[in-house]
Amino acid sequence: MLTTLLVSIPVLLLGALLSVGLRANRVATAVSLAAQAVAVALVFTAVIPVLAGGPPLEVVWPWPLPIDAISFRLDGLGAFFLSWSLPLTLLGGVYSVGYLEPYLARGRHSGPHHALLCLTSLAFVLIYTTQNALVFLLGWEVAAVSAWLLVIWDYPSQNIRFAGFNYLVSTHVGLFVLVAAFMLLHSKTGSMNFVDFGLFLSTKSPSRGTIFLLLGTAFALKSAFFPFHTWLPRAHSAAPAHVSALMSGVIHKAGLFAFLRFTFLMGRPEPWMGWCVLGFGAVSALFGVLYTSTQRDLKRLLGYSSTENVGIVSMGFGVGYLGWSWGQPTLALLGFTGGLLHILNHALFKCLLFYGAGAVYKGTHTVDLERLGGLAKRMPRTAGLFLVGALAISALPPLNGFTSELLVYSGLLSGSAPTPSANVALVAAAALLAFVGAVGALSMVRAFGVVFLGNARDATVHPAKDPPQSMLAPMVLHGALVVALGVAPELGLVLVRSALGVLPWEGGLELALTPLAPIVWANRVLAAVLAVGMLLAYRRGRSARRSPTWGCGAVAPSPRMQYTASSFTASFARVLESFLPVLRREQLPVDVFPRHASKVATHHPDAVERRMFEVLGQGEEFVVDNAARIPEQPRVAFAVGLLALLVLGAILLGAGPSW
Amino acid sequence: MVIHALAHILAVLLLPVLLLGILQRVKAWWSGRRGAPLLQPAFDLLRLLRKTPVYSETTTPLFRVAPWVFLTTALGSALIAPLLGPAALVSFHLDFVWFAYAWGLGRVAIMLAALDTGSSFEGMGAAREATFSAFLEPVFFLTAGALSLATGKTKLAELVSIHPHVMDGTGAVWLLSIGALVVVLLVESGRMPVDDPTTHLELTMVHEVMVLDHSGPDLAAIQWASALKLYVGASLLAALLNPWFDADGPESAVAQLALCGLIAVAIGTLESLIARIRLRTVPKFIALGLAAAALALLATAWKTQGAP
Repeated sequence: MLTTLLVSIPVLLLGALLSVGLRANRVATAVSLAAQAVAVALVFTAVIPVLAGGPPLEVVWPWPLPIDAISFRLDGLGAFFLSWSLPLTLLGGVYSVGYLEPYLARGRHSGPHHALLCLTSLAFVLIYTTQNALVFLLGWEVAAVSAWLLVIWDYPSQNIRFAGFNYLVSTHVGLFVLVAAFMLLHSKTGSMNFVDFGLFLSTKSPSRGTIFLLLGTAFALKSAFFPFHTWLPRAHSAAPAHVSALMSGVIHKAGLFAFLRFTFLMGRPEPWMGWCVLGFGAVSALFGVLYTSTQRDLKRLLGYSSTENVGIVSMGFGVGYLGWSWGQPTLALLGFTGGLLHILNHALFKCLLFYGAGAVYKGTHTVDLERLGGLAKRMPRTAGLFLVGALAISALPPLNGFTSELLVYSGLLSGSAPTPSANVALVAAAALLAFVGAVGALSMVRAFGVVFLGNARDATVHPAKDPPQSMLAPMVLHGALVVALGVAPELGLVLVRSALGVLPWEGGLELALTPLAPIVWANRVLAAVLAVGMLLAYRRGRSARRSPTWGCGAVAPSPRMQYTASSFTASFARVLESFLPVLRREQLPVDVFPRHASKVATHHPDAVERRMFEVLGQGEEFVVDNAARIPEQPRVAFAVGLLALLVLGAILLGAGPSW
Repeated sequence: MVIHALAHILAVLLLPVLLLGILQRVKAWWSGRRGAPLLQPAFDLLRLLRKTPVYSETTTPLFRVAPWVFLTTALGSALIAPLLGPAALVSFHLDFVWFAYAWGLGRVAIMLAALDTGSSFEGMGAAREATFSAFLEPVFFLTAGALSLATGKTKLAELVSIHPHVMDGTGAVWLLSIGALVVVLLVESGRMPVDDPTTHLELTMVHEVMVLDHSGPDLAAIQWASALKLYVGASLLAALLNPWFDADGPESAVAQLALCGLIAVAIGTLESLIARIRLRTVPKFIALGLAAAALALLATAWKTQGAP
C-alpha cells in the first residue's frame, strides 16, 4: 500500500521532467496536471485506508551510508495532511491555466512553472511520510526552493526578485535552526530516525526544552508566525495568485505539521510548553490581524491574515498541549481538533480568497484597494465567491471558519484548568480570540466592500469581467467545500479523527464533541433560514423601483468621494496607533496663494520589519550611542550591569543542578 | 412548558416595540411633552411594511438581502436569551459564543449593505460600527467568561443566574459584569452616550447613517431587529439584577419584564439628561467596559481561592 504511494514520487519527477522538456505550453501543462492527478490517485490508495481507521503503513528501504536505512511511515497525521495537500495543489495548477494565459501569449514557457508545482507535490509526499531526518530535510528544501522559484515567476521586475530573495533568506534562516535541532538530536541518539528521536525526547532530558524551542522557532519561521512573518506579505504580493494561495494555504502548513510530528514524539509535554505555544499563537493572531486592517494591497492583506490564522491554529494546539500536560483528554482533544480542523478550513478559504484576488488582478491589472470599487457588477461570480471566503475567514456562522474556532473556544472556555489563575488566562485568551475575530471581520468587510461594492473609484482601471472557467471552477469547488464544512463539520472531523490517533486516548473525541452538537444544529438551522430568507428577499426586490443613492444633499458626487479603504480603518488605526504607526508624507500649501500643488500620502509600514531593518542597519550606532552615555549616568549603568549579572547568575544556578 | 414557549415567542414578537415605546415616552416626559402612544413604534413598522421599497441604482442584490440576514440573526439570538427567566426557548452548551457570532454576522451584513450604496456617509457609519464592535467583542467574551467561571455554567441563560456574595468575590464579579454589560448594551443598541438615534446630522451618526438608503419592509426589518437586540441586551442585564431569577413560579418572568421596563426608563432618562460623547472618545468608553470585564475575570480567581 505504502509502496503504491511512493510510486507517486517517480511519477511526479517524470511529470516535472517532461513538462520542462516539452516545448508546447499546452502539452507541458497537460502532462504536469496529468502527473499530479495520477499522484493524487496513488496517494489516495494509501491514505484512504489509514483515514478509515486502519493501522499505520510502514516500509523500510536499505540505503547506503550515511543514511543506512530510509523508513517511510504513513500514520493518521501524515494521511490527514496528504489527503488535502495534493488535491489542492492540483486545483492550483488548474487555476494557473487561466491565470498565466496572458504571460504565455507573450511567449513565456509554462513548463518550468508546472514542473515546480509537481515538485511541490513531491515534497509533500516526502515530508508527510518520512521517518528519517535527512529525507525530511530533502523534502523541506525541495518545497522551499520550488516555492521561491514559483514566487519569482514575474522575475523581470526588481521588486519581485527582492521579495523572492527575502523569502529565500528567511526560509534558510529557519533551515539553519532546524539543522541545529537535528544535529543536537543526532549527537544525543547517534541516529537520524524519528523513532530514536522519540525514544530520546520522551526521557526527562534537560535538552528536551532546548530542542522544543529550536524546532518551534524553525517551524514558526516556515509558517510565518509573528515576529518571523516579515517575508510573507512581500512574497504573497509578488507571487502569482495561485502560488500565493498554495503557499499560504498548503505549503506553509508543513511547518505546523512538522511541529506536531516532533512534539508528538516527545510524549507528554510540560505545561510551560503549552503556555509557550498558546502565547506565541495569541501574539501572532493579534498582530497578524492588526496588520490586515491597514493594508492597501489586497494580496498583502491576505498574506497578513495567514499569520493571524496560523496563530489561531497554534492557540488550539496550545490548549491541546496544556490539556495533555494536565492530564485532561477532553481539553487536549478539543484543542488539537480545533487546530487541525482550522488548518484544513484555512486552506480552503484562504485559497479561495487568493484565487478571487487573482481574478481581480487578471481583470483590472491591479490589487490596490484605493483604485478599485464596484467590481460586483462587472464580475458577479467572483464577487459572490470572494464573499463566501471573506465571511468564512471572519469565522461567521454558518461557514466553516466558525466551526474550528468554536472548538478552540470550547477548549479555552471549558473552565477545567487545575488552578483559577490558569482559568483566568485561558478566558483572557478567548477574549483575545474574540477581538481577533472582530478585527478580522472589519478587515474583510473593508476588503470586500471597497473592492466589490459601491462605484468604481478610478476610471483608468482596466474594465474587468469574470475570469475564464479554468479559474472559476477551482473557486467554485473551494466555495462549495467552505459551505459544506460549515454546515457539516463531520466531513472535516472524519479526516482529523485519524490524525489524532497518534494521541494516547481512544474514543475520547466523541465524548469531547458531544456537547457541541447543538451548535452545529443551530448553524444548520441558521443556514437554512438564511437561504430561504435571502432567496425571498432577492426575488421580491428584482422588480422594485430604482433611484440614485441618497447623497444627503450633495448632488452629483464623484465616485472619488466614496469612503476609501484608508478612511475605513482610520479611526481604528488611530486608537491602536502604537501598533499601527502611520507614515505621513505631506506637502502642505504655503502662503495665501500656493504656487505648487499640495499633496498628502499616508502609509502604514510593518512596524516589526522596520524595527528589524533599523537594528540591522543602525544597531551598532544605537549601542555605541548608549555606551557613550554611560559616563553621564554611572548609577544607571551600574544598576543595569548588576541586574544583568543577577539574571545570568540565577540562570546558571537554576540550570546547574539539572545538568 | 408549552405555555412558557408560547410566552417566549410572544415576548419576542411584541415586547421589543413596546420597550422602544416606553423609552420614547420617557424621553418625551423629560422634554415636557405628552409623547406618542406606547405602541407608536409598532404603528411605524406596520406603515413601513405596507410601502414598496426603492433601491439605489448603485446597489447589488446584497443590499436587498442584508436586512433580512440582520433580522434572522437578531431573532436567533432572542431565542437563546433569558427573556422570561432561566429557561430560554433554546439553550445549549456555549450558546453565548454562537450568540456573539450571530450578532457579528448581522453587523457584517448591515455594514456591507452600507458600503454597497457607495455613499461616503454610509461608509463612515460602517467604519465606525466596525471599529466599535471590534473593541466591544472582547468585553462581551470577558464578561461571559467571568460569569461562566464564577457559576460553572456554559449556557447563556444560566450564566446570568449568579448568586452574589460579598465575601467570596462573586459580589465583585456580579457588580463588574453589570457595569460591562451596560457598556455592551449602550454601544450595541446605539444609545446615548455613544450614538444619538434622533440626530439629524449624518456626520455624527453611527447606526442611523448605515440604513439611510433602506426603505419600506427592509427598513422595517432593520428597525425591528434593532429593537429586538435592545430587548435581548436589556433582558441579560435584567437577569443579572433580578433577585427572583431562579424562582420556579411566574415571579421570575414578571420580575424580568418589570426590570426590562425599568431599564428602558433608565436609558430614556440617561438619553434625556446627558449629551453624546465625541466619537473619538467612544473607544475610551468601551475601554471602561473592558476594564470592568477584565476585573470581573480576575475576581473569579479570588472567588475560588477565597472559598475552597
